[in-house]
Amino acid sequence: MSGALAWLLVALGLGVVVVRRRSLAVTLVTVQALVLAVRAHDEAGAAAALAVRAVALGVLLLLVVSRTREPRPIPAGVAPMLRGGLAVALALALTWLIPTLGLASRNAERGVLALVAFGLIAVATRRATLFQVLGIVLVENGLALAALELPSGSSAAIELGVAFDLTLIALVAVVFHEKIFAEFGGGDSSVLRSLRD
Amino acid sequence: MTSREALALAVVAIPAIGALVVAVAPRRMISQIAGVTAILAAAAAFTLAAIALSAPDATVETAWLLIDPAAGVLVGVIGAVGLASTLLSPNYLATVLRGIVRPPRLPRFYYALLLAFWAVLAGVPLIGNLGGAWLLVEATTAASALLVGFSGKPRALEAGWKYLILTSLGLGVALLGIVLLAATAGGGLDGLSWKALAAIPSSGQTVLIAYVLLLAGLAAKIGWAPVHNWLPDAHSEAPAPVSALLSAALLPAVLLVAWRASRSLAPAVGTGTAHSVLIGFGLLSLAVAVPFLWRPLPWKRLLAYSSLEHMGVIAIGVGFGGPLALAGVVVHIVGHAVAKALGFYAAVPLLDHDPRASGHQVGGVARTEPALGTTMAVSLGALAGLPPSPLFVSEVLIVAGGVAAHRPWAAAVAAILLALGFLGLSHALLDTLAGKARAGSHRSEARGLRALTILTAVTIVGLLALTAAAFWLPHSELARALAAEVR
Repeated sequence: MSGALAWLLVALGLGVVVVRRRSLAVTLVTVQALVLAVRAHDEAGAAAALAVRAVALGVLLLLVVSRTREPRPIPAGVAPMLRGGLAVALALALTWLIPTLGLASRNAERGVLALVAFGLIAVATRRATLFQVLGIVLVENGLALAALELPSGSSAAIELGVAFDLTLIALVAVVFHEKIFAEFGGGDSSVLRSLRD
Repeated sequence: MTSREALALAVVAIPAIGALVVAVAPRRMISQIAGVTAILAAAAAFTLAAIALSAPDATVETAWLLIDPAAGVLVGVIGAVGLASTLLSPNYLATVLRGIVRPPRLPRFYYALLLAFWAVLAGVPLIGNLGGAWLLVEATTAASALLVGFSGKPRALEAGWKYLILTSLGLGVALLGIVLLAATAGGGLDGLSWKALAAIPSSGQTVLIAYVLLLAGLAAKIGWAPVHNWLPDAHSEAPAPVSALLSAALLPAVLLVAWRASRSLAPAVGTGTAHSVLIGFGLLSLAVAVPFLWRPLPWKRLLAYSSLEHMGVIAIGVGFGGPLALAGVVVHIVGHAVAKALGFYAAVPLLDHDPRASGHQVGGVARTEPALGTTMAVSLGALAGLPPSPLFVSEVLIVAGGVAAHRPWAAAVAAILLALGFLGLSHALLDTLAGKARAGSHRSEARGLRALTILTAVTIVGLLALTAAAFWLPHSELARALAAEVR
């Protein structure tokens, strides 16, 4: 995998962590998945699974954004620069802690670990429920990249499984997001803090 | 296809077909169709469990299917709890006025999801491939998260959301471990069969990293500390019959996946290391659970923290390995399932009897509603490990298994934590039965109490039979076969 492609995927992922608007973040993860689909051009099954999943999830999530308009963007609780810094720090820490993943190239390994780190940070630092779903999509995009970079190839089955799983989880998450929006008047996960011991 | 393979297919297919039929059936027939489906699915499950347990050495193992004694135990547990949960669900649904979908659609939505959840869950112990197991475990999240948020109440939505996000994220980490294993094993998905994984050569740190990522990810679904945050919320806010399935069947079924992964990867990562990771998760879960067992908690929340404790005990037993500890694990899985499910079923009449029980510890139930008090006493007494509970014998077997496995310090710490947990739950038992009752508690007969009383009688007989079996089990072919699997 070329360094430029890895950097492009990482930059798109970092964008999801720092941007404010939900629609822009959805566009970024969709473009990221489509880039992965292009990367998988020599494996038709994997490319098709990635492309269909990217478009289906993108359309679904943009539809949800339009159905659940927030009066104003939900503050993240952590400033964008700090979020970005945390995400990069976690990515570097993971790269240092995990010396090798056994993938076809070191660029791909770093890209996978960065996307997983960005996904974890997005879930941990964003209050908007939709951004938490996008965090999971980021992690799964990282895993899709890992499957594409397996030295043995034959990643189509894994890509299909991940696509199926992610679509299922996203559908359930959308149901919850809309119910939370209707019940609490917004998709702010900080209101979900009544269950404590 | 052999008769065992056909039976395994039926165990999964019957509830799956039932879910589809419920989704399109006339509204007045939904409950009856779900009941008939549950009886047929449970019959298939009990038959397969009996066959797998009666001939422990006659394992069926292909790239995608594994029928062994451990699968037999879990399939039997899922069948029993699935049957009871489905048959007792009308009592719960009678209390529901609103939910996550419009009221007229609630029964159809509930039963279709419950049966779909059962179908996917039944596949988890039978799947012979780590990749397939991951897919099924993730699918259980999709089905059960909607059931957790079924009531549509703010607290239920919060619990369902936490469950969905945290377990999906955890399973994402587990999938990273699986992809690493696929990279090492080669051969695509076939390289992830339990048999193929056992042949992975020890290749430096990669397999160890993959194993740790896999177990850390699965821990989020099993509810092991420190990634257990969703567990008390989801189990306390889900409909009681669903809580029973989540706690008694889902958690140990996912734990079996971790067990199988540990067994298969032990040659590559080292048996001692593979087992130490399990023991570490187990002890940490016990240590985190015990302080909560000492606190005055609402009934379902107390049961949820007890699940954290018991998943820890099972992890420790699997980590110790050997016939003694693994016999204890089998008794513990079955005993915990029976006692915990009964406790959750008691929550429906309990909330009818004292509506404030959803947010507060209950007291004096033995005086205000003796039949319900008896059920709660049987459940909590068994879960505490009060003799003659089978969980007392299983915990002794697991601790003794730790000593036999030359892990005396881990066994000693486990014994101390178990004793503290026992004291905490015993205190809760006394408060629940003989403590001060809240003024204004209903004294009329609570909904579904007659069915629950019959189930309590059956449970007492089952628990005593399990206690008797626990004395024989360590010397049985079954324990020997289980121990051979993890070597």
